[in-house]
Amino acid sequence: MTRYLSLYGYFLIQRFKILMEYRLNFFIGSASTAILQAASLATIWVVMRQIPSLNGWNFYEVILIYGLLTMGESITHMFADNLWTIGWNYIRSGDFDRFLVRPIDPLFHLLADRFCHDGIGNFVTGALLIGVSMYSLHVALTPLRAIYILVAVISGGIIFIALNLITATSAFWLTESIPVTQVVFNMNEFAKYPLNIYHNAIRILLTWLIPYGFVSFYPASYLLGRDAGPVVWLSPVVATVFILIAYRVWLFGLRHYSGTGS
Amino acid sequence: MSVIEVRELTKVFKIPKKEIGLTGAIKALFMPKYEQKTAVDRVNFQIDEGEVVGYIGVNGAGKSTTIKMLTGILVPTSGHARVLGRDPHKERVANAREIGVVFGQRTQLWWDLAFIESLNLVARIYQVPETRYKKLLDQFAEMLELKELFHVPIRNMSLGQKMRAELAATLIHEPRVVYLDEPTIGLDLIVKERIREFIKEQNQTKSTTVVLTTHDLGDIEELCKRVIIIDAGRLIYDGPIETIKQQFGKYREITFETIHSSERVTLPSGAETTHVEPRRLTVRFDRTLTTASQVAAALMNQIEVKDFSLSEPDLASIIKQIYNGALNREAA
Repeated sequence: MTRYLSLYGYFLIQRFKILMEYRLNFFIGSASTAILQAASLATIWVVMRQIPSLNGWNFYEVILIYGLLTMGESITHMFADNLWTIGWNYIRSGDFDRFLVRPIDPLFHLLADRFCHDGIGNFVTGALLIGVSMYSLHVALTPLRAIYILVAVISGGIIFIALNLITATSAFWLTESIPVTQVVFNMNEFAKYPLNIYHNAIRILLTWLIPYGFVSFYPASYLLGRDAGPVVWLSPVVATVFILIAYRVWLFGLRHYSGTGS
Repeated sequence: MSVIEVRELTKVFKIPKKEIGLTGAIKALFMPKYEQKTAVDRVNFQIDEGEVVGYIGVNGAGKSTTIKMLTGILVPTSGHARVLGRDPHKERVANAREIGVVFGQRTQLWWDLAFIESLNLVARIYQVPETRYKKLLDQFAEMLELKELFHVPIRNMSLGQKMRAELAATLIHEPRVVYLDEPTIGLDLIVKERIREFIKEQNQTKSTTVVLTTHDLGDIEELCKRVIIIDAGRLIYDGPIETIKQQFGKYREITFETIHSSERVTLPSGAETTHVEPRRLTVRFDRTLTTASQVAAALMNQIEVKDFSLSEPDLASIIKQIYNGALNREAA
């Protein structure tokens, strides 16, 4: 474990050396995600001006949901972006074999191979949004809430990574996994709004099958003191269960790969 | 001591059968049909510590599939493979520590990183002790002339520079077994020579076992005492390179272009026609029995020759002849 941590640190340093070489690219990347977020926020703002309350949730409350989702998403973006490109950049080109002849875990190698700085912009935006929302709603940042947010964001990141890992594994069969990943990933759009505005089916889907609800809506409900039941405590549990399932799926894909090659 | 042991090694791939047109594509989606393709077919061999073995065959013969099974990337369909006593797939990580692999045209280094940074990263992955690493770095830098390359990113390197960098990165953890896939392809003679020297040196000082797949007869002649030839997944020859050279090195071919077609010609003993076309004739002769000028003179006396060319048999044609049983028959 310590070996992997120090190795990851070393990968990260090398990655930043490359990024510094393309400094302009680095800033454009970080800024572009922030700009995209701004556009997305503008949409919510326009919507909320028309309907000041979405099923009892006002603008700043929706912003809290949005901020939590953005922070969770930024974690996959930073640490697991290679899951998007595994098919095209690694399996199709045969570069994935390189990971298999090295004495480290191939999934670790895949993820460590490219830290994606574009996520930093999202991370900062998400944090700012949570701050703005809590400030406007007079929700004080008590130590308990701070820990709760930390755990929720990490769990949220893990939920995103788990879902992307499951869909990325399809690359072992299809070579190109982006369309599959895209379909599941895009479901997070629903989680930008309070889940109680949707039909039951969608709510169940986003809670138990593609659990983006645990990234944003349930933690936000807790922070705002809304009565959502014990589910508000389940984010870390759901994250653990999903990442374990995802890792199993990944290992299954890996076995298929060693049976067939590319 | 036997380092690599392969018994009845077999790999069968299931390949989806493609049908033409839209209906074919839809059918394939719902009722996929598969074809079985045997890439490696009951292959047996043993390689001892410190051997340098040429593993050769035409494209698609099953070379890479074998290497992939020995490196743990692929699982054999049946049969048995052991590298240093381990199952390469089941004990993939332990096996990976002991082996080094160069995959032909692909780089294992980071495209955008300065070469020395890439090397540092590789050394960390393999946990090469600091002092040992420094020492090896100095040695490699001298032998492969790497000093001026250390701060160049891989993307800015020429083919020859890339291959030298690649070799250094592959051997920096001092693997006991090295698989080299086409290490000299596309390189000029001087770089080829340097790379061969380096491989030879590593093999001699560290008794590194080397499995070399190549199309370059020069590589094989200079590095390998033994070759294993594989064709259509089957092992067709395993033995000293000397035998092959004696059998095939003595033959030459002359192709004549003639004014008129002529099928019947008399040739000096030791020469025979191997290919006849209208206005084109190929003659193979044994250099120990006759000479090119005797063959050409004999032919020119009988027919009008427009042009002719002399060639050495290439690896592909040698393999074909071996496949047809030429070697066994003549050796017997």
